[in-house]
Amino acid sequence: MVVSRLQYIRRRLLLAVPIIFFIIVLNFLLIQIAPGDAADVLAGEAGSATPEYMDQLRRKFGLDQPIYVQLLTYVSNVATFDLGFSFRHNKPVSELILSRLGPTLLLMVSVLLISVSMGILLGAIAARYLNRWQDITISTVVVLTYATPVFWAGLMLIVLFSVKLGWFPTSGMEKIAAFHTGIARIIDIAHHMVLPVITLTLFYIALYTRLMRASVIEQNTMDYVTTARSKGLGEKRVLWGHILRNACLPVLTMAGIQAGALLGGAVVVETVFSWPGLGLLAYESLFARDLNLLLGIFFISACLVVLVNLAVDLLYASLDPRIELK
Amino acid sequence: MLAQKIQKFMSLVFTFGLVMLMTQQVSAQAVPKASPTVTPQQGGTLVMVVQPEPPTLASFLSTAGPVGQVATKVYEGLLEYDFKLTPQPGLAKSWKVSPDGKMITFKLQENVTFHDGKPFTSADVKFTVLDVLKKSHPRGINTFRALQAIDTPDQYTAVFKMSEPAPYMLMALSGYESPMLPKHIFEAGDVTKHPNADLPIGTGPFKFVEWQKGQFMRFDKNPSYWKKGRPYLDRIVARFIADGSTRAAVLETQEAHIAGFNAVLPVDVRRLEKLNHIGMTTRGYEMQSPIVELDFNTRTKPFDDVKVRQAVAYAIDRKFVVDNIWFGFGRPATGPINSNFKANGLYTADVKNYNVTNGIEMANKLLDEAGYKRGADGVRFEITHDITPYGEEWRRFGEYVAQQLGKIGIKVTLRQEDVPAWLRRVYTNYDYQLTNNWIQTLADPVIGVHRLYHSGSIRQGTVFVNGTRWSTPETDNLMNQAAVEMNSKNRAKIYHDLQKRIVDASPIVFVHELDFVTVHNKKVQNFLVSPLGLYSTFDQAWLQK
Repeated sequence: MVVSRLQYIRRRLLLAVPIIFFIIVLNFLLIQIAPGDAADVLAGEAGSATPEYMDQLRRKFGLDQPIYVQLLTYVSNVATFDLGFSFRHNKPVSELILSRLGPTLLLMVSVLLISVSMGILLGAIAARYLNRWQDITISTVVVLTYATPVFWAGLMLIVLFSVKLGWFPTSGMEKIAAFHTGIARIIDIAHHMVLPVITLTLFYIALYTRLMRASVIEQNTMDYVTTARSKGLGEKRVLWGHILRNACLPVLTMAGIQAGALLGGAVVVETVFSWPGLGLLAYESLFARDLNLLLGIFFISACLVVLVNLAVDLLYASLDPRIELK
Repeated sequence: MLAQKIQKFMSLVFTFGLVMLMTQQVSAQAVPKASPTVTPQQGGTLVMVVQPEPPTLASFLSTAGPVGQVATKVYEGLLEYDFKLTPQPGLAKSWKVSPDGKMITFKLQENVTFHDGKPFTSADVKFTVLDVLKKSHPRGINTFRALQAIDTPDQYTAVFKMSEPAPYMLMALSGYESPMLPKHIFEAGDVTKHPNADLPIGTGPFKFVEWQKGQFMRFDKNPSYWKKGRPYLDRIVARFIADGSTRAAVLETQEAHIAGFNAVLPVDVRRLEKLNHIGMTTRGYEMQSPIVELDFNTRTKPFDDVKVRQAVAYAIDRKFVVDNIWFGFGRPATGPINSNFKANGLYTADVKNYNVTNGIEMANKLLDEAGYKRGADGVRFEITHDITPYGEEWRRFGEYVAQQLGKIGIKVTLRQEDVPAWLRRVYTNYDYQLTNNWIQTLADPVIGVHRLYHSGSIRQGTVFVNGTRWSTPETDNLMNQAAVEMNSKNRAKIYHDLQKRIVDASPIVFVHELDFVTVHNKKVQNFLVSPLGLYSTFDQAWLQK
């Protein structure tokens, strides 16, 4: 069992290599379509430039090379796990990404865990009390939160809880002027996380709740449920003991797919709350035409999505023993 | 400008009956006066909001606005400036210009050390200016073009030797424009990718501590700063917040103390200024002097015709634009030189005036004369108007222009792209007809204005130079003269002539002089001590407890 599982993981990872290679090449070519380059942006930000300065920049960035040479250099670098150098930030790409990966993962994992578990719970309750006031309340509220634009929800939370009530900080990951360490720092970060996590959760929770509700309703008509009921089990036992595990599967599939979207969707929340994450970095590097950095972020995101999907597939097998890993 | 300063000084000398120097010696008090009424309080952390996050701390390679706001706390320049735009002592305690204008002798402050303890000497000046700024600084390449050598007869003397007079050079020696670097750090290796680019070591009142990308930069007090008793603040933290509404919120909740360069959007300023703890100012940008403008592509139809360009200039109601699109932050512009230069006589309002009440009528007449008759649908011709991608207001400005030009029979389609695409279109491909834009005219016209009109500045692929590709031999000539003219009266006369000619030819519609706004907590004192504003060292800034 363990051996076959390891073999499965190894095969899946090997299969991921050509996929990721294809993604790199595609990203590289797509980015070339965008007009203007990093030298334009840097000189543009400077508000002034001389031709000598622009030439210097382009030579330094390697932008004076033909595109296929740039692509070859890039791919061969990535093959040796070298993500290149961000000239804009004057730092290796891997270092930049690693420094931003932590905050993003912290935010993402919290949001994913809370919204999936809350979604499953609320969805199950809604389905249990189908068309009664519990269901109607839950369904209405989640549609409302889903329909609210994320940036607006974020800003309103800031206005209410930071500006008016003063309960939470408006933005950032830490209290800047304090430079806390140890436990105080952890508490401080948690304090800063509350609003951004709520903002994103409000959005994603709706998705999982709706999905879970539909899934439970569907499972309810299955033969095994009828069997369980005819054995004389109570409704509670049927729902939490029998239906739940089966009904969770589509929600988990969705969560796996969403993991990639979450990285992207975080841009808005990271912007509003000034959260120093990967989404914001990607957004900025696109407008700065910082191609090495942007490609690096795409690369890491692709890897993350592959890994999350693998994890979801493994989770499937443990939730539903009938599913075999091949 | 220098000559003017000298004149003033000489008259002072005579007033006090001191007949002692026939050389053009300028010497002034070592430290500008602090606010006399209140005693500064020591200590505290000043949190400033800087927008956007600077791409680098290497202010010797990038003049990007946000870089200047942080790097100037660490690096200082040879000179500082007062509100009359006259040079004041900085790291140079005095300077002397030779009669032919080709030599400037700087005497440096003694007992100045870098943050690593090494002394600041003339060798650092020579290295910084010749090996770094003249070679790799985006504007320094131009500013120091005439500079051929720097002699260092002793540790505290640096003699600049030029091939021709360069009076504007003295306007470009602030810590923002020409930061002085430690030679012993930067001489090793390639300065354009130096490991110390983001680990700055300067002579300034604050030492760089750390930069958490995407979050903040931290600068701590330099206890051995050469100005005794300064700085007052213990620490400066620069925060980076991408969202405009959040930037307003952190000032409202007092999580941050100060935000300049319109980091708080004009729409939020009008709301925040009503709060008791918030103050705001539009001063401290006198050496930026931005002008909002409409740039024509003067090499293609229909804007190759001066009458068409003048017609567009007549069609814009400048006051309407300032009041309704920029919330009143600015004033109508008259020409290529910002009215801030009234302070040193270079500005004139005596130019062709397009800001008239019957502008639309005048514009229609000019277009008729130019031979662009209205068609059956009332349209003379169609154009695409590009919008500079620097914020919401530019889109609204574009919509206003489209509406006004509609009144004179020009049908306008708007186009908006992101920054790199727009820069490429306007300054490399010249694939545009009319674009809105804003240009900082900077500390001296030679540095900020000539680049937009001189034929030598038609440089494909270089941004913010002469993208309209308009030039005439006469205006080129005037600019060449102004660059080397030592007498301030003659220099002013040349510039008055230049302004007239450029405004007549209308290669650019000068819409308004943009006021940047600094929003600050009223606890922050003495941050505004020179026209450099947020680009000054903050050695005198303090926080009220």
